[in-house]
Amino acid sequence: MQVNVALFAHLSSFQPDGEAGRKPRAFDLPEGTTVGAVIESLGLPDEPRVLFINGRHADEDTVLAEGDRLAIFPPVAGG
Amino acid sequence: MPADEHNACPPPLVPSDDPAMRARLAASHVAIIGCGGLGSNAAAMLLRSGVGHLTLIDFDVVEEGNLNRQLFFRDQVGMRKTDALAETLRRIDPGAALTLVHECMTAENLLATVGAADVVIEAVDRAEVKAMITNVLCGAAPELPLVGASGLAGVRSANDVLTEQIGEHFYLVGDCTSDVRDGLPLLASRVMVAAAHQAHAAIRILLGHAEP
Repeated sequence: MQVNVALFAHLSSFQPDGEAGRKPRAFDLPEGTTVGAVIESLGLPDEPRVLFINGRHADEDTVLAEGDRLAIFPPVAGG
Repeated sequence: MPADEHNACPPPLVPSDDPAMRARLAASHVAIIGCGGLGSNAAAMLLRSGVGHLTLIDFDVVEEGNLNRQLFFRDQVGMRKTDALAETLRRIDPGAALTLVHECMTAENLLATVGAADVVIEAVDRAEVKAMITNVLCGAAPELPLVGASGLAGVRSANDVLTEQIGEHFYLVGDCTSDVRDGLPLLASRVMVAAAHQAHAAIRILLGHAEP
């Protein structure tokens, strides 16, 4: 199945194509892949993050489906 | 002026000539989590814009080091931030409806504290608390609009501070990258730009506008 993955802020440097920017990239993934498996395969750092699939909140156990848009956003400090 | 006129109720603020807009904002409730650089300034802007009810949440007290960007005054050092901010807001509008919560927000008490608001503004400083607030509210109350902030430190252009709709009801203000943990300063000018974005995003949500 194909899933689009957008990595925000400094996480964009973990995209497999090595290009900066948050634009979504298409990933070919096996059926049943979880968000957590994508995070692990990309080697994202263990830090606070927020996950959305198709604009709705998700967690790492969420199973992805064909055509999903996964966005991973790491808040940065300051207020 | 006769003495009794000193005690008369002052006229209410009139933020808009549009009665429908005024009524909508006056009937609205915004909860602000964190009364620091973002929250204190956003609160004043929302009040001046006519938002009828604000819930102000902060567990901290005013310190000397806050005065460079937060809406507090030297004689308020040592006061609870919620009390000091309420005092200042009531100087602007004595009739302001304010709910003060002097507590630290946790995953356990957050939704019960802010769930009745029409819009929630996340205005805390620590990244892990921003993530907790976003995860709890977007997970448990996905229809409750949340305006977060991420990336407002440093001297990058103010034009890099944007309001973006990240989720169905989650809006994010900032440049997403400028982090105080990288040693960047929190300058009043850029913090207030972000606070203004947050306040304005809340107003647009309350008035039914969509972000581009």
